[in-house]
Amino acid sequence: MKNEEGYVIENKTIKINRDLNELDFFVRDFLNILKKHSDYLVVSGFVSISTGRTRGTEDVDIIFPLMEKTNFFNLFSDLLKNGFWCYQADNAEETYSYIRGLNSIRFARINQMFPNIEFIPFNETKKSKLFEFNHPQKIKIDGFEFKIPMLEFEILYKEIILTGKKDMEDARHLRTFFKGILSEERFKECETIIRRELK
Amino acid sequence: MKQIKILTDMDYVELYADKLREDNSLFKQHKVLIESQLKSSSSLFSNMFGKEDFKKKARDYLRNIGLI
Repeated sequence: MKNEEGYVIENKTIKINRDLNELDFFVRDFLNILKKHSDYLVVSGFVSISTGRTRGTEDVDIIFPLMEKTNFFNLFSDLLKNGFWCYQADNAEETYSYIRGLNSIRFARINQMFPNIEFIPFNETKKSKLFEFNHPQKIKIDGFEFKIPMLEFEILYKEIILTGKKDMEDARHLRTFFKGILSEERFKECETIIRRELK
Repeated sequence: MKQIKILTDMDYVELYADKLREDNSLFKQHKVLIESQLKSSSSLFSNMFGKEDFKKKARDYLRNIGLI
């Protein structure tokens, strides 16, 4: 790893100047399978941690648009075939009942509990999730590229909705680390969407 | 050299993020911490459940703590 700034922007993608760690490999392996079956967005703690927040985590949150049963069955089978297990069940039919009800499910590597992926379905009734999903930010770490929400959205969501100590610290990390690229205009746009969720 | 007084966890978060933005060598510490935490939780649950019937024991545990 060369000594340089923490990140640079290349073609609207945020490139974090660091080597990959074991948590990145876990997320990358999961996304490599998921991308064959669905679009997605990595949200919450991993956004802060992957950009340098130094804290432990047990789960990585990934949102995805509610999918048809057949598509989900293919994804589920692909994940199991590639070394993941699902906390809720081994059976795709049973697991899909959670997804259909917009409840999240979790996946970890075989014979491991943590880290795990919290896999969170949403549909058009979830306006806030729909907004973040439709305004992704690309991020790249040593060749591993993935999508996160617009930074301003991620920060405000933690500050307005989540509000726990670790969330407020994550938000401060993002505000400080990315202070040169955050936009007041985008903050205002995101705040309107997020505050609607409180009503 | 300017003295910086760290008052709270939040001050530390801000100071660290500020330094990291200018100097990516701090990512080396970041990697060590993240991987150390993963290793700890992995060995904790391997010791608790072993490899035989891991899923069954894990699900029993998850039901007990209300996660599934």
